[in-house]
Amino acid sequence: MKEKPVIITRDLKKTYHDGGVPVEAVRGIDFTLERGEFTAIIGPSGSGKTTFLNLVAGLDSPSEGEVELSGRLISSMSGKELAAWRRDHIGFVFQAYNLFPVLTVEENVEYVMLLQGVGARERHERVMRILEEVELADMADRLPSRLSGGQQQRVAVARAMVSEPDLIIADEPTANLDSTTGGALLDTMKRLNEETGMTFLFSTHDEVVMERAHRLAVIRDGRLDSGGQGK
Amino acid sequence: MLRRMIVISWRAILKNRRRTVITSTAIGIGLASLLFTDALFAGLINFMVNTATETWMGHAQIHGDGFRETGRIALTVNDPAGVMDKLEGDTLVRGFTGRLIAPATLESSMELRPITLTGVDHTTDPDVTSLSASIAEGGYLTGDSTELIIGEKLAEDMELQLGDIAVLTAAAADGGFSSSLFIVVGICSFNSEKLDRYSAFVNMEAAEDMLALDGEYHEIAVLFADPQAAEAHGERFRRMYGVEGNTAEIWPVLQPQIHSMVQMVDVSVTVMAAILFGLVLFGIVNSLFMSVYERMYEFGVMKALGTRTAVISGLILLEAFWLGLTAIVIGSVIGWAVVSYFGAAGLSFGEMEFTGLALNRPIYPVFEAGRIWIYPLITLVFTTLAGVYPGVHAGRLNPSEAIRRSL
Repeated sequence: MKEKPVIITRDLKKTYHDGGVPVEAVRGIDFTLERGEFTAIIGPSGSGKTTFLNLVAGLDSPSEGEVELSGRLISSMSGKELAAWRRDHIGFVFQAYNLFPVLTVEENVEYVMLLQGVGARERHERVMRILEEVELADMADRLPSRLSGGQQQRVAVARAMVSEPDLIIADEPTANLDSTTGGALLDTMKRLNEETGMTFLFSTHDEVVMERAHRLAVIRDGRLDSGGQGK
Repeated sequence: MLRRMIVISWRAILKNRRRTVITSTAIGIGLASLLFTDALFAGLINFMVNTATETWMGHAQIHGDGFRETGRIALTVNDPAGVMDKLEGDTLVRGFTGRLIAPATLESSMELRPITLTGVDHTTDPDVTSLSASIAEGGYLTGDSTELIIGEKLAEDMELQLGDIAVLTAAAADGGFSSSLFIVVGICSFNSEKLDRYSAFVNMEAAEDMLALDGEYHEIAVLFADPQAAEAHGERFRRMYGVEGNTAEIWPVLQPQIHSMVQMVDVSVTVMAAILFGLVLFGIVNSLFMSVYERMYEFGVMKALGTRTAVISGLILLEAFWLGLTAIVIGSVIGWAVVSYFGAAGLSFGEMEFTGLALNRPIYPVFEAGRIWIYPLITLVFTTLAGVYPGVHAGRLNPSEAIRRSL
């Protein structure tokens, strides 16, 4: 039996009000993402990629339309329900790494599991396992300020993956990295995708990402030009 | 989770070291000022109460019914021997002395002045009043029936000097008038207008002869072993000694203006504390808001990862708590050091007067046991509460907006 798609969006719209002027950032996107995909949303700056990802992740609420994540309609959830849903089903990798500067690598990675109430021993084991995967196990006690940009982004990937969510959303993950470091990071993510079957959805301008993606969905002026349907 | 939140909040405080030091030092200095002001006022109150009580009045007094209201010479203490026996056996009492008090005139070769004649028991008076210690010239009473001590202002007004002769005239209890010659043996200085300008002190026997009263007292002044006990044991004192034709009262009733001053000082400190805590509140709210805006992405990411609003608000409250704790450590240390120094060295106000009382001796600030904990505790509560508004603000941040604005 075919598994349910991880994401389905139906006629998804988002209108902002910028100084009283309505700005249509997303103008009716129908999109499906199947489990295990490694898909990139591409498009020029201001095309609506980040807004679309925020809507899919439940970080923002749509003006119209629906978002279904792993069979649950998240666009109708309350803030509290959404927070719990994100915690258990979505991992995030941000453009600026966005690690907690006062926590060590290990503490950053285990943060979500802490929210989930996973026991200390299991947390430590899982953190060390994922840090081995991203080749940062020997830096577990370091603060983010003592890591390079590429290392910080690998920690962010580890943090996103450690709780084994249904979906990992990465917003321009290589934007602050040079091409070699970005390529290496993407190779790591792709390997983890292949090994674990975890689903990845990127927004990017970067060819390094586009080259490795299973599918490219193109957004222009808030509309999906192509690549809306999964494999 | 709580442990991790405690760790995050404490490390956040340490990370912004400069701001933490500036904010907590500012609050700490405010707290230290408050502790010092409170200790100084406590010292001032001690000074006022001691001056009012141990100079002359005593912590409590016993009179015959109606004497205080009318000043009639015939209204002496009922059964003075019995009262004194009771006082002798009272463990709360440190000392007591009986007095005769009557309106009189004092006449020198130059002047005639109305004064209050006071017959003093020279054997017990030094244990209760500071008359003997206030002698500026000459000596104290020895029991000789011609000895007279007057205040320095009265001596100045009447141009009397040691060894001069003066005549005291008073109405006696038997209805007659009596005049006697006295020799000025001492000139005293209490720094009190009433005692220095309008009083004359003679030996008890001399006063008894003039007023035709034998073994009687108009007033018995009492000192308690613990000066703070007056208010606490006032009711007991009244019940024990205000019986059988006598009235017993403690100093707050005898000197209501001093008691009002003490209360006024309390109100002043409370107002100062309220102003300080208001400033603390604004200072810390400002500092925490700066922190929230600087770390907006952190809170945005926390929310994105599924952290509940209450946890983020709690994190800010914890940071406020740490700031407050740091501040009270700094404030308490500074406050303790300053109060300890001036508590030993004293603070001299020169010839300044406070509500009519000459501050002619140093004031020694003292920590009051009940209050030394209160101000730091209130500071901690206030600083923590100051985190509520920024905390709620941080908790309500829209995650996508917070992350976008921080990029």
